[in-house]
Amino acid sequence: MNATQGKFPDESPDPGRWLDDHGDYLFKYAVFRLRDNTAAEDAVQETFLAALKAYKQFEGRGSGRTWLVGILKHKIVDHFRRAGREAPLGEESDEGPEHREFFERSDQWQGHWNNDYAPNEWHATPAELIERSDFWKVFNECLSPLPQRTACAFTLREVDGLKSEEICEILSIKVNNLLVMLHHARLHLRNCLELNWFRREE
Amino acid sequence: MALKLYDKLKHSIRYRLLRTLPGCQQTVETISQSMERSLSLEERIKLKLHLWICAWCQWYLEHLKIIRETARAKADDAPDYIAGPSLSDEARERIRRRLTNQN
Repeated sequence: MNATQGKFPDESPDPGRWLDDHGDYLFKYAVFRLRDNTAAEDAVQETFLAALKAYKQFEGRGSGRTWLVGILKHKIVDHFRRAGREAPLGEESDEGPEHREFFERSDQWQGHWNNDYAPNEWHATPAELIERSDFWKVFNECLSPLPQRTACAFTLREVDGLKSEEICEILSIKVNNLLVMLHHARLHLRNCLELNWFRREE
Repeated sequence: MALKLYDKLKHSIRYRLLRTLPGCQQTVETISQSMERSLSLEERIKLKLHLWICAWCQWYLEHLKIIRETARAKADDAPDYIAGPSLSDEARERIRRRLTNQN
């Protein structure tokens, strides 16, 4: 078995070793969701500190990494809760690009897809995409231009599968805000993936 | 002959529906909402009819489902696939010091 995936030994905790084995993994996990390096570093540090305190309860059951990720998830949610309380979303907040140009037409079909932006068939299934490591890279890059909170809301919903109501509570936003954010994120991401992944694959 | 008539009829129904139903811009918003809440009966009927005549919006819906299914299947091993930044040396040392002090 791979040492980094293994169980913690039954002896006293060795946080330096945890940091070496899981530090990068936890950081990437956090940065993908928080989209902020400093916040992700803090979340990783808090995770290790909490792990140190809770080590007795862990007692080497299951994989050390899974245990640490479980703690990290709580730390990430804590961060969003704090940020949501400190900077509540105003009325005219930035929910992301509306991409009106996708539906601009000069003929009688104004409000329908513009041919340049209209969706095309994707020749791929989720099962195939899961196998492609570079797909995630494009996915992540496509989320970058979105406002941070919109990208975070989208990740909580579509990657982590949290319920809409949970996300509203965590981010301190109203459900209408969330629906607009998710819509804008989807519109943007779908188009970006089509341009930068699916058309290149053909 | 009958086939031609049928085609004409189909074309005219399609045209009328496209003129009267909400456009694609509004429909993609409804599609996104359908993934968050249950739609009203009226919304559902309009969406079904629109999808019946619009391949673009059919694809749009399918793509959103592909994105969701792919993203959720990979939720936990995502970090290994992202070539993004690793923990910086400076942050690593800071965390190490913090952990040693606690120990």
